[in-house]
Amino acid sequence: MAITYDVRAVAIAPARRTGRRKRHHGSASSAWLFLLPSAAMLLTVLLVPLGYAIWLSLFDYDLGAGIHTFIGLGNYDALLHDAQFWESLGRTVFIVGCAVTLEFSLGLLIAYGLYRLTFGVRTLNLLLFMPNVITPVVAALFLRWIFVSRWGLLSGILISLGIFPPDFLGDPDWARFTVILGDAWQFTPFMILVLYAGLNTVDQAQIEAAQIDGAGIWMLLFRIMLPSIRPLVMFVLAIRLMDAFRFFDQIYVLTAGGPGTATETITLYTYALAFRLLQVGKASALGVITLLLVASAIAGMIMALYRRERGAF
Amino acid sequence: MRRTRTQTALFLLLCSFTAVTLTPVIWAVLTSFKQPVDAFAVPPTVIFTPTFTFHYQVWVEKAFWHYLINSVVISVSTVLVSVSIGTMAGYGLSRLRSRASRGVLFAILSMRMFPHILLAIPFFVLAKSLGLINTYPAMILALVAINQPFTIWLMRSFFLDVPHELYEAAEIDGCNAWQVFLRVGLPVVRPGLWVTALFSLLLAYNEFLLGLVLTGPATKTLPVALSEYGAEDINYWTLSAAAAVGIMLPIVAFMMLLQRHLVRGLSMGAVKG
Repeated sequence: MAITYDVRAVAIAPARRTGRRKRHHGSASSAWLFLLPSAAMLLTVLLVPLGYAIWLSLFDYDLGAGIHTFIGLGNYDALLHDAQFWESLGRTVFIVGCAVTLEFSLGLLIAYGLYRLTFGVRTLNLLLFMPNVITPVVAALFLRWIFVSRWGLLSGILISLGIFPPDFLGDPDWARFTVILGDAWQFTPFMILVLYAGLNTVDQAQIEAAQIDGAGIWMLLFRIMLPSIRPLVMFVLAIRLMDAFRFFDQIYVLTAGGPGTATETITLYTYALAFRLLQVGKASALGVITLLLVASAIAGMIMALYRRERGAF
Repeated sequence: MRRTRTQTALFLLLCSFTAVTLTPVIWAVLTSFKQPVDAFAVPPTVIFTPTFTFHYQVWVEKAFWHYLINSVVISVSTVLVSVSIGTMAGYGLSRLRSRASRGVLFAILSMRMFPHILLAIPFFVLAKSLGLINTYPAMILALVAINQPFTIWLMRSFFLDVPHELYEAAEIDGCNAWQVFLRVGLPVVRPGLWVTALFSLLLAYNEFLLGLVLTGPATKTLPVALSEYGAEDINYWTLSAAAAVGIMLPIVAFMMLLQRHLVRGLSMGAVKG
């Protein structure tokens, strides 16, 4: 959820404004003091727990059995040889990949539609955005009532049409599909909002020039508009990948990782390890691995973006 | 003529997409007003005699009001703590221009990346050993932790819009650093402060994973209570629909309040760099 709102903050790149601003020497040194309360808070409630989690990951620590033994990197070693880890990682990559691709393509299409529409845009925009702000647990229940076998709205409609409905949440393949759709339902609106705003910043003169040259509407979108908002596109993709990778609420309520482990993502696996099996050491190790994976993926994206941008100038 | 026809077609297309998107919400609202016999009807029915029984039952008799109080206490406290210190930090960062401050800024941004599950584990173990499970402070502190990076970045972006001359004038008039912040910076960003506070409130209100781990019977928040309630048993369908719709209502109000900032201010700000 947090993602939605960082957008504004991030995209006002710090470097852009430097020129405008002079500063007094005196006020600069005191400006650091304003960071203190927040720094103290972040240190105690964020960094210390993070450090503690890394520390925990070095122990065979079972809250249930009361085992607490230092085993160094043993947990990491065990996880890397754990089939369930690799399977849940593969599933996560698949679900996240499909969901983000779907969200981006659909989001871009709708955003472009809104961009070309000359009336009613405000209302549509507001209505379209709604699923994004709904509490994920509530959203998951709403979707459950659509997809649940037999009593769900979709099954009901299909039965009335004489079609035998699949079990959207109970069949492994359909469950994965439903989970992807669920994620898309809640986060396509975010893509729409940001991409629509992005499309509106494209230089009007550039668009007119392309139109005079005879560019059609699709050519205009893919050759002119999309390239000119590429940093924004990379930014929303990075944010979405990151958040989809760690997303928990919706799948937990929608399928709880089931049937079997068909929709058990790496986050759900971590949750089960930590809070069902109470193996907090191993679970922490898994959390650290997740952090490293996400961090390297994002770093890769940022580097790719920078390289292309530099090449462009 | 052709132009208007394409426009109408486009409008209808987007309307139908919107309608499909909103179906789950509309269906849930309808369900919450249905008797079970209507809720389970095949084919699904939209014509029925509405009843408020289940809204009354779930919020009054089933003690969801109690979870509402928990949610309100926890999210409002989170906002008070997070926004007040986040605003100061955002102000500080907006007035710093050195290399180091850039480093701090990106460090804060990367904190946003932490998987919440990785934080939930130490939060749980620490809270357990300190006897803080099922208390408000544990949940509030955890929420502040995940809320801070967002609050700081957003507030900083609002402070960046304050003309530097205002600060200089105040300094010449003899204001000290604290007075400059309190008398000059803060009044100017007041609208931004409200926006930040509301978004933080929403984030805290919607949080589920941390609530699942850190709260207990006495401090359970609405999403946790709802997830435990009737997600499995189809007999509770109409009751949990009533609860879910009730939980959604403040969010609809929130959207109306922030409408301008959601669609215009916020997203435009996002890409003006």
